[in-house]
Amino acid sequence: MAFLELEHLHKHYATQTVVQDFNLNVEQGEFISFLGPSGCGKTTVLRMIAGFETPSAGQIRIDGHDVVRLKPNQRNIGMVFQSYALFPNLTVAQNIGFGLSVARQPKTQIKQTVQEMLALIKLADLGERYPFQLSGGQQQRVALARALAIQPKVLLLDEPLSALDAKIRVALREDIRAIQRSLGITTIFVTHDQEEALSISDRIVVMNQGHIEQVDTPLAIYNQPSTRFVASFVGALNILNATVSAPEQGMLQIENQTLQLQQPLPHPMGTTIQLALRPEALSLTPKENTDQTLVGQVQQVQFLGSVLRVQLKAGAQNLVLDQFNQPQLIPIQVGQTLKVYFASNQVLLLGAG
Amino acid sequence: MNTMTSRIWSWLVLLVAIIYFGLPLLGTFEFSLRMLRGTYSFEAYRVVLADPQFQATFGYSLLMACATIVMGVVLVVPTAYWVRLKLPHWRPIIEFITLLPLVIPAIVIVFGYIRLYNTSSWLPLTGTAWSTDLLMVCGYTTLALPYLYRAVDTGLRSLDIATLTEAAESLGASKFTLIWRIILPNVSVAILSGAFLTFAIVIGEFVLAALLNRPAFGPYMQLMGANRAYEPAALAVIAFALTWLCMGLIQLVNRRQRHLAVPQHR
Repeated sequence: MAFLELEHLHKHYATQTVVQDFNLNVEQGEFISFLGPSGCGKTTVLRMIAGFETPSAGQIRIDGHDVVRLKPNQRNIGMVFQSYALFPNLTVAQNIGFGLSVARQPKTQIKQTVQEMLALIKLADLGERYPFQLSGGQQQRVALARALAIQPKVLLLDEPLSALDAKIRVALREDIRAIQRSLGITTIFVTHDQEEALSISDRIVVMNQGHIEQVDTPLAIYNQPSTRFVASFVGALNILNATVSAPEQGMLQIENQTLQLQQPLPHPMGTTIQLALRPEALSLTPKENTDQTLVGQVQQVQFLGSVLRVQLKAGAQNLVLDQFNQPQLIPIQVGQTLKVYFASNQVLLLGAG
Repeated sequence: MNTMTSRIWSWLVLLVAIIYFGLPLLGTFEFSLRMLRGTYSFEAYRVVLADPQFQATFGYSLLMACATIVMGVVLVVPTAYWVRLKLPHWRPIIEFITLLPLVIPAIVIVFGYIRLYNTSSWLPLTGTAWSTDLLMVCGYTTLALPYLYRAVDTGLRSLDIATLTEAAESLGASKFTLIWRIILPNVSVAILSGAFLTFAIVIGEFVLAALLNRPAFGPYMQLMGANRAYEPAALAVIAFALTWLCMGLIQLVNRRQRHLAVPQHR
């Protein structure tokens, strides 16, 4: 039995279905991310777990207990919000101790827990400050400590990093993950940022239009996307239209160039199908396993620091490839014709287009 | 040249305003000092302040003002909070209702009360002194509503009510705990400025107290005005000073709030 079980969750308002048949089992101590575009229902599921929304149908069990009928303040769930939501009239220490004082814990106990939490978020000296005296990153750390102080069964993070700038975002997400690991707390993290989800999750739930597209480890989500949506939403992708020329041999035609994949194709001859290739799977030089090539004309070259992004056109189709920047690299000119190498096992089949 | 002319005009307007508002006050003040023949003294003030009637009525009105502020806060803070949180589409209606006391004169309210709660009615609130006082506090609360509601509502606007509510609830707090420990302290400055206005209204109020026949400061001032010469002038100056004190305190707390008001998002 999983620690957190969501079974057949539905949520609809008047005429609009926001979440449909959502099923998920989360193990104790697991870090799960809900990833999807805005409006996909990920925050609604989170709010149903927290008790701020009532499911139209379905069950939510935490540690074996059905919580659907419990009020938010009876669920023992820690929540961190995008806007921090610190109490402006209370100091950092009072904010962190708020949940404990509501639960009428003895003062010495509260003081001790607050000190531990302050140390955990590396803000031991700022207990007496007010929220407005802290930076955004510090405020969100305090919000995290406040949510953790009550020793919740589940920690819910609703886009906690969205309001922060890039550098702090990366630092804080690493801290969140480290703290989560050290406390072993079951955590659900909502985000629309794929990099965030890929970098810190045990498993990712990719959502689209109120339903689950795929639940898997970050590696599997990226390398073996099970639906076209997942393939296109997670990571950058080149999508190519190809015509099946010999299905048994895995032969395809792309703009009069032939590819041969190492697997038979489940489509009849003459069918147009879509293939996907990650930009980093393409290379301008042959490598050990690169058994396929495509020829294209350079349209644009972007220098992104560590990476050189080259946009090519093979006939009418666009290709983007990422090349690590190396000083000995021969400069690429716009208009130049280049051969692009890739391995056939890196090609993702998206099915008939 | 142009700015010179406009500056002269603004000074002129200010001067006219000072003369218009200030001269009568100055005259009153000067007159209040002339109780003892041939010399300026604060005799009128001494007489007024020593008058047991003054002390009794002023004390009574002070008590009424405090009771009104408490009742107003208890009524307005949860209402304004709830409207902002759950019934935002009701805000225009609630605002309209809270503005009604500015349109409907106090005399209408008090006649309504007397008709509804007289001694031969179902709820004879005018029958005893304490229940009449209760009625009067209700009336004062109504009169203070436009100021108190507006002040509190403006105070709430600077808070992210919905998220703070959810944060508190997820930490195990009840709605009461939330209002008492989070909402109330955060709008305390707004409440304070509303409270000073309420205080100023109640201290000088005449109609309700006179028609409900309660020993308040308003009717006392009227009585003095009808029977004495110098004391009413002293009372008027005292009343003005009190109102100004309240206004000054409002300014002070508002300035403090501005000083503290730092945006939550950075």
